[in-house]
Amino acid sequence: MDERLQEDWLDAQLRDEAPYIDDAGFTARVVQQLPAGRRQSRVVRVSVLLGITFVACLVAYLVSGRGQFLADAATFLIAMPLATVCTIAGLCAIAVLGVSAYAAMLKARELRL
Amino acid sequence: MTDADLVARVLLEDDHHAFAELVRRHQSAVRGLLRQLARSDLALADDLAQEAFLRAYKNIGSFRGEAKFSTWLYRIAYNCFREDARRRKELVGINETQLEAKLDPQTVNPALRQDLMQALRLLPIHERAAVLLCCQSGLSHDEAARVLDIPLGTVKTNVLRGREKLKKTLAAWREN
Repeated sequence: MDERLQEDWLDAQLRDEAPYIDDAGFTARVVQQLPAGRRQSRVVRVSVLLGITFVACLVAYLVSGRGQFLADAATFLIAMPLATVCTIAGLCAIAVLGVSAYAAMLKARELRL
Repeated sequence: MTDADLVARVLLEDDHHAFAELVRRHQSAVRGLLRQLARSDLALADDLAQEAFLRAYKNIGSFRGEAKFSTWLYRIAYNCFREDARRRKELVGINETQLEAKLDPQTVNPALRQDLMQALRLLPIHERAAVLLCCQSGLSHDEAARVLDIPLGTVKTNVLRGREKLKKTLAAWREN
């Protein structure tokens, strides 16, 4: 019983040690630092990524002799047995899935509740 | 308007006013917790609180509403503190001998408040955080386990040990 009373007393003391802290401009400082326009920044990010991808594809196409490597790769793949192609594709899919799941889990662990 | 409504407005309309209202509602609790964790270093605690709210804003899409918004915020705030503490190599904690030596009731400030603050500051970080969340902020053991990202049993043990140390330190006050 005394143990219980001691715990109640301690909890009460701890709660008393948590008085309301006046805002005193804290909220204003946080709001001032918020990034401007989440939607706008998303659009910008997507545009930049698409632009870079397009330019990279164009450069690769021109550098590789107008995409000759694509024809070579297609010929190589056609010559391969179907089972080998399917196995390679499957392994690639599993690798991508594994890396993505790991990255997602790391992020979720920190923030999702 | 509930926290969930405000979160929805932030998500759908990127409403800074709604987020400001969330900050206003929770700033005291978050700053209070960080002040205790940061051993009353007010400037550091406020910097960390600011960082925690900014991180919350950037990642508000990952709040699923399964826990209370305040619990989610506590978790972000605790992560900010832990990362900072790691940088400052503070996570080592303080050993028992040091604790005994520093907490002799004859040598510390006679005021109960001072003694309590002193005793809290000297608890190892994992016990301090568990005690503050469960005994001061009123979180359940389960919620504290989510915030601290440790098993439920460990939270219970940390609260128990932390409480025991505090009780031992403040025994003289209790008797009075």
